[in-house]
Amino acid sequence: MGNTPQAARAGRWLVAPAMVWLALFALAPLVFLVTVSFWTASMFGLSSSFSLQSYAALAGDPIYIRVLGNTLKIAIITTALSLLASYPIALFLASLKGQRKTLFVILLFLPFWTSYVVRTFVWMPILGRSGLINATLMSLGVIDRPIDGLVFNEGAVYVGLVYVYTLYMTLPIYLALDKLDPALIEAASDLGASTWQTFKRIVLPLTLPAVWSGCTMVFLLCCGAFVTPRLLGGPSSQMFGNIISSQFLDAGNWPLGAALSVVLMVVVLLSLYLASRRFGLQRLFMGQH
Amino acid sequence: MLGSKHKPMALWLRLYAGAFFGFLYLPIAVLVVLSFNESSVIGFPLRGLTLNWYHEVFNDSKFFIALLKSFGVGLVASLIATALALMTALGLRKRFGGQQWVVPIMLVPIIIPGIVSGALLLVFFGIVGVPYGLWTGALVAHVTWVLPFAFLTLYPRLAAFDQALEEAAMDLGAYPWVVFQRIVFPLIRPAVIATVLFSFTLSFDEFVRTLFVIGAERTTPVYLWVLIVEQTAPFLPAAGVIIMLISVTVAALGFWISAKSSPTSKRST
Repeated sequence: MGNTPQAARAGRWLVAPAMVWLALFALAPLVFLVTVSFWTASMFGLSSSFSLQSYAALAGDPIYIRVLGNTLKIAIITTALSLLASYPIALFLASLKGQRKTLFVILLFLPFWTSYVVRTFVWMPILGRSGLINATLMSLGVIDRPIDGLVFNEGAVYVGLVYVYTLYMTLPIYLALDKLDPALIEAASDLGASTWQTFKRIVLPLTLPAVWSGCTMVFLLCCGAFVTPRLLGGPSSQMFGNIISSQFLDAGNWPLGAALSVVLMVVVLLSLYLASRRFGLQRLFMGQH
Repeated sequence: MLGSKHKPMALWLRLYAGAFFGFLYLPIAVLVVLSFNESSVIGFPLRGLTLNWYHEVFNDSKFFIALLKSFGVGLVASLIATALALMTALGLRKRFGGQQWVVPIMLVPIIIPGIVSGALLLVFFGIVGVPYGLWTGALVAHVTWVLPFAFLTLYPRLAAFDQALEEAAMDLGAYPWVVFQRIVFPLIRPAVIATVLFSFTLSFDEFVRTLFVIGAERTTPVYLWVLIVEQTAPFLPAAGVIIMLISVTVAALGFWISAKSSPTSKRST
């Protein structure tokens, strides 16, 4: 039924509403944003004559480059930490069977279906001055006054980011492991391969696309992080998302904010391009489909 | 997938799983405990048991209004997004020119970082001259954000759907709309309902994009954010627990419907 001209027409009409919506509210605004980044802002409002002023300001002030570098560093480290945390848990889930598996998969999911503002906030009464860790250490007599250095620094940002984003790593890896044919692993061990050899030679290569897809997701999410560094980071651990938001929400400098957003988009698209060269964009987001 | 020969590894894995799930749930446990703590400082040591903070949250009209707004925009956004996603998934089963562009375009809202999505719509609405607010900027932001996820949930279900039934009905002379209404929709209804529920939780928890385009109005996450940043509300943990309960209930309902309806596998989410 899928090949007639009528079917083609029906197909086009069916996808049209979503495509029009995205053209209007995702693609067109992107064009607007790029355009505005070449405008100038003054006390009297926006001037729409072409100008490179915002990009010059951006290139001229080392703070933007430093924050961008810091953002990439935080994103890469968080991605690595999430991978380390997620791979074993994906192995664990894939090794379960029946109802226990369903139970643990749901347990894995549930926290991620709740507000990330709340899930970020909750680290403040854990790491903070009167937080759980300080209270525990003091009642154990390890310290006699609260430690201040647990929150409002880069370490706390890592904890918060891994906490809110690690599912995006765990899920694709788990799905890939779950699809592996157990016969492959049995064959390997029957032929005398050790657990480690089986893992390195068979399991890991077969799940590599999923690892890559998880890494891309977590990296992209971290590049745009705003809530976590704002709540848990200190002044030196603010990320690119924070300086973008302050241009729009505090300083009211749209052209500079737009230029900064364009820079972030370029970083994102560049990393996506590099990631998809290996496995294809569609596979990156949709696994094996 | 790990056979019996790998017992030592399985033990190691179990220990690690304990630690991992501890990391996932300890903060939530802390939030729940603090929501009952009789102290106006959000933290430890624990002073005693109270329901006072829940009482305060329920009597806070701003929280209630924010909750209503979140529910309203969540409901409308999830219905629009699911309808658009369903049509797209149905359309993709036909062959037509330019088809290969549909999925990449669908993924655009996921690729754009949240902060940039917010900025995009702020600039767009500002220049076009549409006032910011719940039913303008926030609704558009939510539909756009939720749409790819609704699509990714529905598309595999429809792609796997047996087309022979439809073809038989068409051969017997049924109109396409009748075929959809009588045959396709009843079969995919549970998946559609699950998609609406998942979309709702995504919208209900959306924050960054909303912050940019909602103007002076407040959804629940935006209201919580203001309270957190201003550090003035000792009832925050209680408010957090209530919000978590709402999202978890809706998501659990979605999982349940989705698992019950899935004929092929238990693993589909």
